[in-house]
Amino acid sequence: MAKGELLLEVRCEEIPARMLEPGLRELATRLFEELMARRLPPREVETGFTPRRLTVVLRGLPAREPDREEEALGPPATAAFDAAGKPTRAAAGFARRCGVGVEELRRVRTEKGEYVAAVKKTEGRPTAAVLAEIVPRILAGLSWPKTMRWGRGLGPWVRPVHGVVALFDGEVVEFELFGVASGRSTSAHPLLSPKPFDVVGAADYRRKLARRRVVLRFEDRRKRLLEEMRKRAEALGGRLVEDAELADRLAAVCAVPGVVEGAFEAEFLELPREVLTTTLRDHQSALAIEREGRLLPHFLTVMDRPDDPEGRVRAGNEWVVAARLADARFFYREDRGRPLADRRPELERLTFHEKLGSYGDKTERIEKICEVLCDGLDWRAEKAAAVQAAGLAKLDLTTEMVKEFTSLQGVVGGIYAREEGYPEEVWRAIYEQYLPAAADDPIPRGRVSKVVALADRIDSLVGIFGLGLVPTGSKDPFGLRRAAQGVVRIALEGNLGLDLDLIAAKAFQFYGDRLELQGKKVLAAWRPFLFDRVRFLLGREGFAYDEIEAAVAVGGTNLPDLRARVEALHRAREEPAFLSVVLAAKRIANIVKDSPERSFDESLLAEPAEIALHKAFGSLKSGLEEAESRADYESGLREIAGFAEVLDRFFVEVLVMDENRDLRRNRIALLQSIERVLSRTARLTEMVVDRSEQRPAAEAAGGEEE
Amino acid sequence: MRSLQELILRLSDFWAGEGCVLQQPYDLEVGAGTMHPDTFLRVLGPEPWRVAFVQPSRRPADARYGENPFRLGKHLQLQVILKPSPPDVQALYVRSLEAMGVDLALHDLRFEEDNWEAPTLGAWGLGWQVMLDGMEITQFTYFQQAGGQELDPVSAEITYGLERITMFLGLARSVYDVSWVPDGLGYGEVRHQDELEFSKYYFEVADVGFLQERFAGHERESRRCLEAGLVLPAYECALKCSHLFNVLDSRGAVSVTERVGLIKRIRRLAVACAREYVASRERLGFPLLDRSEDRAAGSSGAAPRGTDGQG
Repeated sequence: MAKGELLLEVRCEEIPARMLEPGLRELATRLFEELMARRLPPREVETGFTPRRLTVVLRGLPAREPDREEEALGPPATAAFDAAGKPTRAAAGFARRCGVGVEELRRVRTEKGEYVAAVKKTEGRPTAAVLAEIVPRILAGLSWPKTMRWGRGLGPWVRPVHGVVALFDGEVVEFELFGVASGRSTSAHPLLSPKPFDVVGAADYRRKLARRRVVLRFEDRRKRLLEEMRKRAEALGGRLVEDAELADRLAAVCAVPGVVEGAFEAEFLELPREVLTTTLRDHQSALAIEREGRLLPHFLTVMDRPDDPEGRVRAGNEWVVAARLADARFFYREDRGRPLADRRPELERLTFHEKLGSYGDKTERIEKICEVLCDGLDWRAEKAAAVQAAGLAKLDLTTEMVKEFTSLQGVVGGIYAREEGYPEEVWRAIYEQYLPAAADDPIPRGRVSKVVALADRIDSLVGIFGLGLVPTGSKDPFGLRRAAQGVVRIALEGNLGLDLDLIAAKAFQFYGDRLELQGKKVLAAWRPFLFDRVRFLLGREGFAYDEIEAAVAVGGTNLPDLRARVEALHRAREEPAFLSVVLAAKRIANIVKDSPERSFDESLLAEPAEIALHKAFGSLKSGLEEAESRADYESGLREIAGFAEVLDRFFVEVLVMDENRDLRRNRIALLQSIERVLSRTARLTEMVVDRSEQRPAAEAAGGEEE
Repeated sequence: MRSLQELILRLSDFWAGEGCVLQQPYDLEVGAGTMHPDTFLRVLGPEPWRVAFVQPSRRPADARYGENPFRLGKHLQLQVILKPSPPDVQALYVRSLEAMGVDLALHDLRFEEDNWEAPTLGAWGLGWQVMLDGMEITQFTYFQQAGGQELDPVSAEITYGLERITMFLGLARSVYDVSWVPDGLGYGEVRHQDELEFSKYYFEVADVGFLQERFAGHERESRRCLEAGLVLPAYECALKCSHLFNVLDSRGAVSVTERVGLIKRIRRLAVACAREYVASRERLGFPLLDRSEDRAAGSSGAAPRGTDGQG
């Protein structure tokens, strides 16, 4: 048996699939951290889970904690020893408390004088004893998203606990978890192999589970299921329609992975592909099969058993799929019974928000925002299509299909519009209006799509902010963070040079008198909210926190422009001269920060270095203006870098705080105008000079991800 | 299993064998077995309780004129309450499937996360939908709160959808094809007229004004009963309100804003009834606590927990 091996397994009733992996990760991490803190580093960590168990195996743990020596400070020497140099009662008491003899006390010098000290020795405890203390505490304290109680008030935990295996080098680590004693007995599968069995260590455990066909590792199950599904799809003459998220879910819900194959009647293929795959996915956790881009009347899903001896599992799944597809077809036919546009009156009865009106009202506002956006982007040719798409965009919310599959909102409207013969740019804009929904979704492709997607989100953001409902903490009932992230991504990735503040101000007007806050206040809330997403997104791309801050501090809400500034800073900072400019900018900022605005008089310039500075400043200004007019911030920053030398010389040779008041004020005035010019591309004082002070931007922005 | 009737008999027999009171349906219109006072009220407070009963459950919005093969305005639930939830409750449930005649050596059984919440009852719980070969056949819930009160001990609620299970076991294409009586009357023959007429009533005929009056009347009556210390009649009135709300809703007579308001009014009644029920049992000295000591070991004084510790 391997030395220093911990086998820990908790068995309980089915843990929700979405919580398994995070729960196990937390368990392993906290175990590892607590052991490290006690100087009991494991050499290897191995984990596994099934719906009813979490398993952690640690290897290479030391047999016991190292012994510790600590110096404890006692009373002052004057109190510890009498005139004859004999230990007093105070000294004896201190020695006793430390568990050492009086003769072992030492004298130590401190800032406050001479004291006595004792070296306390703590013997390290056996690892098993440490484990018995920390493991039950860590297990009970896992932070599940939702916990419950069971029986006579047991818990709270994610689901009722049934058994715990805790073995250190084959010996049971004894503790209790919610009334369940740890031991060496476990079981494999509640139906296929319910009989409990004993294990002696991790290898034995794995072997015995494998013999009962339990695959402990999620990755192994996923791989095995996918391989089998791809093979089956091929055997059916097609290819698996991959769905990574669903594959994850399926691999999480079984212990003994098996693939079920089923068929449905070919007539259901009349349903749009998205409706079919969503019905299969959402209702039956099943994947579709395609050949040359067309679906086949087959599906694949997972069962928690290796085989289907009498075809009952298949028959059952087929029965449910048939019922679900019949439902979907019913909705589809109902919906298609009349043109999409006829649904407009129903939008008036569908509430977007109590105070912000119906979806009919929202539609009217989106149409107007689309016009503003097209004007701002000078996309005249797209305007009519964008307004038309906006007018149709929300209609699918009234369809039976979207009521059944909310995840298909937009998609359904797009499909129906396509089938009714609307132009491609129009139906696509409806189809893609909710993109990007997740972090790895693409942004809408076409111009019309981008405009509609932006307009919808800007309307929601301005409206909800206008009611003072800015999301705080983890609460974001209207999904505003995601909406703002969408706005920022579409503007950045689509390179849309719009002043978003202006658009928001227009959107505010379109609300008429519905909103409770004034436009200024709404913009004051919306701006930092957008910038938080900008920080997060640019940080994720690898830009440093200070580069983003420096640009945000001066940049407007034209996001591609802001990004150009960040990129320029990112490159410029590599140049050595740039460092001096930043230092000089900080120095200037310090000098002028409390000073009122002064006026500059060229005739007062006296020292050669300040004359040189003034001259260089003149050419810097024109150079910068020229570069900025081309939005070439990199050249601008290079101009500034070239300015460093003159500035340095100025600071070495000239005393700004001259005794002569006029000279002093004049120099401050010169620095004030230099400061204004220097901070036009970016607020350089935000730049961190010592690289070790830099934080990664993603962390600084709270690492959010929605 | 060939008929609805056999399913009812076998499940009743099984749960009676596990010490459940074989109760009868509540004689009022309710939306689910959970609303039966032998569930909603009995899960409150410290007294142990085991019950099983069939409850015809009305969902006016699901009525389909007897035309939809799966949806019904009234369906049958068989509901089991085990309080406190025993450690082997899942194994017991599996045995009930075997009692139904399901050979688990041939099927795939999985428990998928499904949490339950009833805003009108101030109740929620955690658990699963139980999937047999990909079909949801049971709701399995550990009640955490009812009538706004934390529950201790915790009850396990098992709810079988009887029509669905019978259909599924026979792989029937329509609920109306299912046998009610073995080799005898079918589901359609027993219930079709009922589905058709109530669909018409819910969607076309129900008098909104009359329903609204009744809602307000039952609400008043519920409060009067509570003032008179009559918790069971008060709860009955709350159930009436709940059903009237469902009918009004299916009639399209409830706007989004009204909806929130009406739900809140029903919940207030349910919460008041729950509080009053526990007080009334306490006045009686929680009589079923003694009974439990005869049967089960280790029933150390379980006092209501209060509102701590739910994460």
